[in-house]
Amino acid sequence: MHKIITTILFLTISLQIFSQVKISGNLETQNRIRIQNEGEFTWNKNSMGLKFEGNPSGDIHYFSEISLFSLGIPQVNQTSDLQDKDIAYTWGLEINELYLDMYCFLSDNLDIRIGKQIIAWGTADKLNPTDNLNPDDMSDIFDFGKHSGSNSMMLAYYLGDYTLYGVFVPVFQPSTLPSDDWSKAFNTPLDTPTGMNVVSFEDNILLPKNELTETSSYGFKIAGNMLDYDLSASYYYGRDDMPLLSSVKLNAVDTLENYDAEAELVYPRIQVFGADIAGSIGKVGVWGEAALIFPEEQKLKFYVNSALGGESVILEDKPFIRFVVGGDYTFKNNVYLNAQYMHGYIHERGVDELNDYFILRLERKFMYDKLNLAPVSAMVEIPDWDDIENIYGIALGSEISYYPYDAFEITLGSYILDGKGNSIFSKAKENDEIFFKLKYSF
Amino acid sequence: MNYLRTLATLITLIVISVVFAEDAQSVIKKVDSVMYAPKDQKSTMKMILTDKNGNVTNRAGVALQKGDVNRLIRFTSPADQKGIAFLELPDDIQYLYLPAFSKIRRIASHVKNTKFAGTDFTYDDLSSIYYSKTYDVKKLEEGEADITLELKPKSENTDYSKLIMIVQKESYYPSKIDYYDKGNNLIRTLNRNKITKFKNYWFALEVQMEDFRDNHKSQMIFEDVEFDTNLQDELFSKRYLKER
Repeated sequence: MHKIITTILFLTISLQIFSQVKISGNLETQNRIRIQNEGEFTWNKNSMGLKFEGNPSGDIHYFSEISLFSLGIPQVNQTSDLQDKDIAYTWGLEINELYLDMYCFLSDNLDIRIGKQIIAWGTADKLNPTDNLNPDDMSDIFDFGKHSGSNSMMLAYYLGDYTLYGVFVPVFQPSTLPSDDWSKAFNTPLDTPTGMNVVSFEDNILLPKNELTETSSYGFKIAGNMLDYDLSASYYYGRDDMPLLSSVKLNAVDTLENYDAEAELVYPRIQVFGADIAGSIGKVGVWGEAALIFPEEQKLKFYVNSALGGESVILEDKPFIRFVVGGDYTFKNNVYLNAQYMHGYIHERGVDELNDYFILRLERKFMYDKLNLAPVSAMVEIPDWDDIENIYGIALGSEISYYPYDAFEITLGSYILDGKGNSIFSKAKENDEIFFKLKYSF
Repeated sequence: MNYLRTLATLITLIVISVVFAEDAQSVIKKVDSVMYAPKDQKSTMKMILTDKNGNVTNRAGVALQKGDVNRLIRFTSPADQKGIAFLELPDDIQYLYLPAFSKIRRIASHVKNTKFAGTDFTYDDLSSIYYSKTYDVKKLEEGEADITLELKPKSENTDYSKLIMIVQKESYYPSKIDYYDKGNNLIRTLNRNKITKFKNYWFALEVQMEDFRDNHKSQMIFEDVEFDTNLQDELFSKRYLKER
């Protein structure tokens, strides 16, 4: 790994000196303290992002963004861990994007981008049901709506006011999931027959076979402008990037009904027909985005002591719709309001499993954008309209950002989670936190 | 006799000045035609922002314009603003590209009176305005070198009660505009300095907007100004809004 860093530094300096590569980036520290658990320090990430880009000719452009990070909380459990510096002081290197653009390729109207890239589809704010080409990156639950780059090829053909997109992703990439203390919010507890106690749990992820027909995905989109609105329609053929249970094997460890559980998870095929719209009604900015999802039927098999104990359909092959509608408005006193309604979060699948969410953010900038106050960022989750009193979730946050110098940002904030019953925020209501961030861009 | 001769001369002068003096409408139409005379233009710009305590921050960018309504402004520094780009298209369509989100967002009309990227210029200030179509105009004063006009908005959908504009007689370039709020208070002043003739076109190399409510000002200094270089229509599209 040290060789990699040396190589990066060498490349950085060499490229800067000997060519016209533009280098930019940022240094950032993020820190979080849990309000419960006596102020447990849950997150200390220090990172350096580096971007390299250049245009060797008018029709060629290259870009790469890498992130070098150090997690300040030691992952030491035993003395041997202290002998491995990478465990004692956890760090990593991520390639976020790395691609080559070829403009006006074969035709003046055709642009091609090849390489690891993030393709952002959809007009809603951060919650985009039509954005399925890149896997969700939930490794940091705070980085709402983040996607990982995918190795892919994108063609964009410009035809007057319309643009046609075609994307091919040769190899499936799964989503990254939140850490243990957050993943419980998205997981459904394992439903075992009465009387059985699961004493240990292990799971295996079954990725699609590494064959083009199994692992590849593709999508098309047409985008344009009509009647003063930006519109697009899209199609995606690929896989759900969140894993789904396909089998559970229960093996008895004693005669007292105690069992070891072993689960297998797969990524079901899906087809998604998407559409989005953005524009204004009067002075209010409005948008809407919907994804009609056709999933492949998925069965869950239960084995008890190696014998098939039952089989049920965990995901029906019935289409369902996830959608987001929203709007924003700036009041005379410069207070900015952004509100969205979402039906179906990324991990919810099937007509009967989709919950409703109301998202609202109030923001006001002062001192010519040097001070940004967001006193209210709220998300209200309603899984069951007939039982709101007993099943609901609320996330409430506030944030203050100050920019004392150009390109320098200090952010302090907090969020509080609450809820009842089987809701995301109810399951994570012990995770209230205060956070602090410093970022300098160069 | 002398008295009558003086009176006759005076009457003649008044008649001549009435005949040759321009009415406000023709002045403002000339202003519009001078402002949008070039087929296209491109320049680099430095922006100097000064707050009430005299603290200064800087921005830099490029500006492109074709005809009267195709306009693109892109920041090149500081690092956290680099790549932010504003595109204006016909029919009052405006887009903003925010590199941090890799997304192009359409600007709704509620945003147009708000300040652009921490400067004193609003999105509306950066867009093309035909004064003759937007305002009812009255001439207040005519001096040797300039004409003072009062502009009252035709629409009530604005933050201003009136604008007072000073137009240079030599160039018909508006060198100063005072903006008054609905309570008739002077709230902002735009000054265009170093008005220079490049071949057939007049252009202000320095533009300063001062906001008296915050005691804050933003000065734009244009360099490397070029006209009629045959900028392609495609440059003013979402395809080119992202830096490439």
